[in-house]
Amino acid sequence: MADVGQAKRRGKGPRWIVPLALALASSGWLLAVEGRQGLARDEAQYFRAGERYWGWFEALGEAVAARKPGRAFSRAVVDSFWGDNHEHPPLMKTLYGLSWRLFHRCDCVGPKQGLHPIAVHGKHRTLPLFSRESTAFRFPAILLAGLGVALVYGFARRFIGPWAAAGAAVLSVAQPHYFFHAQISCFDVPIAVMALLVAWAYWKSLRSPRWGILCGVFYGFALATKHNAWLIPCFLVVHYLWMRRGDFLRLRPPRVPLAFVSMASLGPILLFALWPWLWHAPVARTREWLQRHTQHEHYNFEYLGQNWNLPPPPTQTGRWLLRATFPFVSTAFTVPVTTLALAAAGAVVLARRRRKDAPADEPDLINPEPPEPGARASWLRPGADVDLAPGMFLAVQILGPLATLAFPSTPIFGGVKHFLTAMPFLAMVAGVGLAWVTRQATSLVRPLRLRRALPAALATLLCLPAVAETQRSHPDGVGHYNLLAGGFAGGASLGMNRQFWGYSVLPLLPWIKAHRPPSNRVYWHDVLHDAVMMYVRDGRLPVGIGDLGVGEPLVAQSDLGIVILEKHFAVYEYLHWEAYQTTRPAQVYAHEGVPFVVAYQRGAPPPPQEPLPP
Amino acid sequence: MVALALLETANALLAPLRAPTDRDWRAAATAVRAGFRPGDVIVAAPAWADPLLRMHLGDLIPVAVAGRLDAARFGRVWEISQRGARAPETEGSRPAQSSRHGALTLRRYERPASQVSFDFVAEWNRAIVSRVAPGGQVSWCYRAPDHFECADPPAQSVKAELLEIDTSPHLALATSLASHATTVIEFDRVPLGRELAVGAGLHNVWLRKAGKGTVSLRVLVQGRELGRIQAGNLTGWTLRKFDTSALAGQSESVRFEITVDDPNSRYFGFAAEARS
Repeated sequence: MADVGQAKRRGKGPRWIVPLALALASSGWLLAVEGRQGLARDEAQYFRAGERYWGWFEALGEAVAARKPGRAFSRAVVDSFWGDNHEHPPLMKTLYGLSWRLFHRCDCVGPKQGLHPIAVHGKHRTLPLFSRESTAFRFPAILLAGLGVALVYGFARRFIGPWAAAGAAVLSVAQPHYFFHAQISCFDVPIAVMALLVAWAYWKSLRSPRWGILCGVFYGFALATKHNAWLIPCFLVVHYLWMRRGDFLRLRPPRVPLAFVSMASLGPILLFALWPWLWHAPVARTREWLQRHTQHEHYNFEYLGQNWNLPPPPTQTGRWLLRATFPFVSTAFTVPVTTLALAAAGAVVLARRRRKDAPADEPDLINPEPPEPGARASWLRPGADVDLAPGMFLAVQILGPLATLAFPSTPIFGGVKHFLTAMPFLAMVAGVGLAWVTRQATSLVRPLRLRRALPAALATLLCLPAVAETQRSHPDGVGHYNLLAGGFAGGASLGMNRQFWGYSVLPLLPWIKAHRPPSNRVYWHDVLHDAVMMYVRDGRLPVGIGDLGVGEPLVAQSDLGIVILEKHFAVYEYLHWEAYQTTRPAQVYAHEGVPFVVAYQRGAPPPPQEPLPP
Repeated sequence: MVALALLETANALLAPLRAPTDRDWRAAATAVRAGFRPGDVIVAAPAWADPLLRMHLGDLIPVAVAGRLDAARFGRVWEISQRGARAPETEGSRPAQSSRHGALTLRRYERPASQVSFDFVAEWNRAIVSRVAPGGQVSWCYRAPDHFECADPPAQSVKAELLEIDTSPHLALATSLASHATTVIEFDRVPLGRELAVGAGLHNVWLRKAGKGTVSLRVLVQGRELGRIQAGNLTGWTLRKFDTSALAGQSESVRFEITVDDPNSRYFGFAAEARS
C-alpha cells in the first residue's frame, strides 16, 4: 500500500503533463509524416462527405441570417447534405469537414473552384495551418490518435508505474498498421480511441457513479463514430459478469450497473442528436444502417496466399479453420515482436496476479482500487466490494474484437484495421510486461543510481524496435509485416495482404504528371475520382488531369493506366497487357523491393539497353 | 527481452538495405539480354517480384509467354532470384550459369524441353465448334475473324483470350457457356505426342465470386475419353497431363466437351498442348 500511496502522491503533481506530452509527440509524429501517406479510397469519400456536412452548417447560417432557420432542418435540405455516405455515422466526418473549413489554405477560387462537392462562393477566411487541404481534413483524426496515446498512459497508470505506462502509450501507436490508420481521416483509429474511452469510463464507473453517466456520453460518441461501437457493450458485459461471478454462486444475479443503463439510454440519444440523416426517419434509417453492416458483402482479401471473397463451404473444414485463424495470425505477424513478447509477459503477470499466496510478495501491479473493506455493491458502484479483475478486462477487450472477425458468419472484411480496437489494450498488457521486466532487472542491479535509471532506460530500449519498425513501414504500413514474418518481403512471400484502398499511388504522381498522355485518357484503377480530385486540390496533380473512371472496359480506352497490386486485381493488369500489347510496366512503385503499384503507358519507349560491364 | 529488442531494432534498420535496388535489376537485366535466345523464358523468384522483372525485361516476355500453359516447352529458364527463393519453373533443373548482381542472383537453367506438336490455343481457328442440345440436336457455331460465335447465347462463344484464372494470366480458349447444352470444340488431325497437357479454370475474380456453377471439361481422343477436369470457384488453374504415348506420331481427332450446371457468371477457359 506504500507504493500505492506514493503513486497517488506523485499523481497530485502535474498529472496531465506526461499524457499531454505523449499526445503532442504522437500527433506531431503523425503530422510530420502524413504528407507521404497517399489518400485512401474511403478517406477520399469522407473528405467529400465532410465537406458536404460542413455545407449544411453554411446552409444553416444562411437560413438563420434569412430568419428562416427551419428551412435548414427540412428533410430535403438535410438529406441533400447528410445523405452523402450515410452508411457511416457522421461524427468524425463532421469534424473533418469542420477542420478543413477552419485550417486549410484557401486556393478555392480560380481553376480549383469547381472541384469542391459544395458551392464555393468566394475565398474562405481561414487559419491556414496546413498547406494541403487533405492535411486539414486529417487533423482531427491525428489529434484523436494523440488523445488515444494519452488515454493509454492514463489507463495504464492505474496498474503500472510511469515509465512502463509511458512505454505502453508509445507501443499503442508504434505499430505499423495502427500508425497507418492513425494519420488518415477514416474511422478505424477514431473508433479504437472511442472504445478505449468508453472502456475507461466503464472501468471507473465500477466505483464512481459520475463515470457511469460519462460512460453513456462517450458511448454515444462511439456510436456516432463507427458501427464497431455495437460490440463495445458485449465485451464489457462479459467482464462485468466475470467480475461479479460470485453473485451467481450465491444465486443472486448481479444488478444492471449504471454504466450499462447510461449506454443504453444516452448512447442512442446522442447518436440521434449528432446524426441529422436520422432525424426525419429515425426507425427506418437506423434499420437501414444496421442492415447495411449486418448484411455486408464479402470483400476480397489475400491471406496466406489465397484470395478470400466467399465464406468457405461448411464441408471444407480446413478452409473454415484457416479463415478463423486470420485475426490471430495477422496480429502475430503485424505487431512488433518485442511488443508481442512484452504482451505475453504481461499476460502471464495478469493471469498469476490473484494466485499469489504470499502477501509479502511485491505486487505485480500497482492497484489503487482494491475492494473497499465493508463496502456494498450497488448499481451505482457495482465494483465496490470485489476485485475489478483487470486481467479479464484486458483479455476481453483484446480477444473480443479478434474473435468477432474469426467467426465464420462474419463477412470477410480483411485488414488489421477491423480489430484495431484491441491494440491499445494489447499495448497496456505490454506495459504490464514492461513493468515486470523492469522489476526483474532492477532486482539484479545494486548501484542506486543505476536502479533509478533502469525504468527509463528499459522503457526506451524496449519501445525502440516498435518505433523503428513503424518508421520503416511508412508510408506503406498496411503492407508491413514484423520480424517473424520477414518484413515487407516476408509478408509478400507468405501471401499476406499487401495493401488496400489505392493509397499507394502517391509516389507515382510525379511520374504520371510528367507522362500525362496528350489524349488525357488516364485509367486510375482503385484510386477513386474523389481521391484524384483531392490530389489536384492539394497541388499534386494538374487541374484537368483525365480520369476515365472505374470498370474493366475502360482500360482499353486509356493511354496511361495504373494497377494497384492486390491479388484480386490481377485481371486489371492483364487487361493492360492486351490493350497496350505489352507486359512491360513503364513504372513500378516498390517498397523494399516489393511492388505496390504498376503504371502502363501506351507506346512506352523500350527500356534503355545498358552495355555489359567489362 | 533486451536481446530481442536489439535484434528487432537492428533488423528494422538494416533489412531495407538488403532489398534489391534498381541498379541491381538493371545489371541483372543486362546480363539476361546478353545471353537471351528466342524461346527462352524469364521468371522472378519469389513470384511477387514479377512486375519489377517485367519493367526491366518485359519486352522479352510477350503475352503468350506470360500466359503460358506451363513452362515445359521452355528448354532455357532465366531466373532472377532474391532472398534465396527458387521459382517453381526451375524445379528439378540445375543451373548452367549463375551470377550475382547486388541483392539479386541470376541463374540460367537448361533442361530438355517438351516438343509441342500442337498448341490448341494458337491453332484455335482450326477448331470446329458446336453446341449439342440434350436431345442430341447439333447447332454449329460459325467462325468470325477472331472468334467463334454460337447462337445461344448470341455472344463471342469461343475465343483465344488472355484470362485471369486463379489470379494468374492464362492464354486460353475462353468459352461462354450455355445452359442445357454441351459446347463441343473439336480439332481434326491433331499430331499427337506422348502426352496431352490440358489446363482449365474459371476466369475473372468477380465472376468467381458471383457465380455458383461448376464447369466440366471432358477430353476425348478418337472418341475415347481421356479424362475430365472440373472447374469451380475454388479449383483455380487445374493442369492435367493425359498419357497419349500409345498414339504418339499419329494424327487423331481431339474433342473437348464442356458442360455447366449453372452458367450464370461462368466464363471458362482452357489451354492444351500435344507434346512429345
